[in-house]
Amino acid sequence: MSENVAKIITDIKDIASDVLEKDISTIRGFSERQVEAIAKQTAIIQKGIANGDIDEDLREFFLDGLEAMTLNFVNTLKGILMVTLEKLWNALVTFLYKAVGVVI
Amino acid sequence: MLLECHSTMKPKLYLSFLAFFSIALFTACEATLAPAYDQAIVERVTESSNLAMRFFAELDGGTESESFFMRQPTYNKLIGAFESLKLQARARPLPNSAALEKINALLQSKGSSAITGEYPSAFAFEQIAATFSKMKQTDSENGIKPLALQAFKGQVEIFLDQAITYESFLKR
Repeated sequence: MSENVAKIITDIKDIASDVLEKDISTIRGFSERQVEAIAKQTAIIQKGIANGDIDEDLREFFLDGLEAMTLNFVNTLKGILMVTLEKLWNALVTFLYKAVGVVI
Repeated sequence: MLLECHSTMKPKLYLSFLAFFSIALFTACEATLAPAYDQAIVERVTESSNLAMRFFAELDGGTESESFFMRQPTYNKLIGAFESLKLQARARPLPNSAALEKINALLQSKGSSAITGEYPSAFAFEQIAATFSKMKQTDSENGIKPLALQAFKGQVEIFLDQAITYESFLKR
């Protein structure tokens, strides 16, 4: 019986790793692109304010934009993770149901 | 099987496994936690982002308000395209499954915030449309200076990346 439990645990870990490994590289790439782009955007705004290309009105607009893009960066990550969670959930539920002999 | 498992696994891991297994049994089916993939949205984003990037390339170096009338139709087209994408992205029904409710209940009992059915792509499309509206207004009044143009472009690119990444990822 304990061998069965060990086998189930190993199988669950394999299924989880399989789903997560594929998605983590996408998430990592997206995060790196976004962090770099938001940092560059901040530098452009600073430079534009300093040389007068960005006036008071545009300054407020771009600062609001920075806040909105940062918030949505986090929300996009949450959205992506939800898809990953769904894939993980469905893969594990299918496996567990098969393990107890139920056909979904 | 689970009782025997208790003696060999760490209590925290055992409880997590038991919680997951219980939710799986109670919800009794596969879950849908995110909206459906929509090929039409992805195609329209690709088309609209091409138009946007070509427009930024034409404006390279900034604009003068005197020639605004030549750009006005492109601004209108871009604002309309992204407003329409926002509506299309939000029109999809939010997933509302028993599994999501159970997961949220579990997350909240552990002190974590619940997963909500948000559309980050719709928010991004809305922000892109607002960026082009502001750009249009600035262009018509004073023209756009080079660094302001770069900032407008950067803002659009960042929101586009968020929308495209999210929409593409929905293809399971």
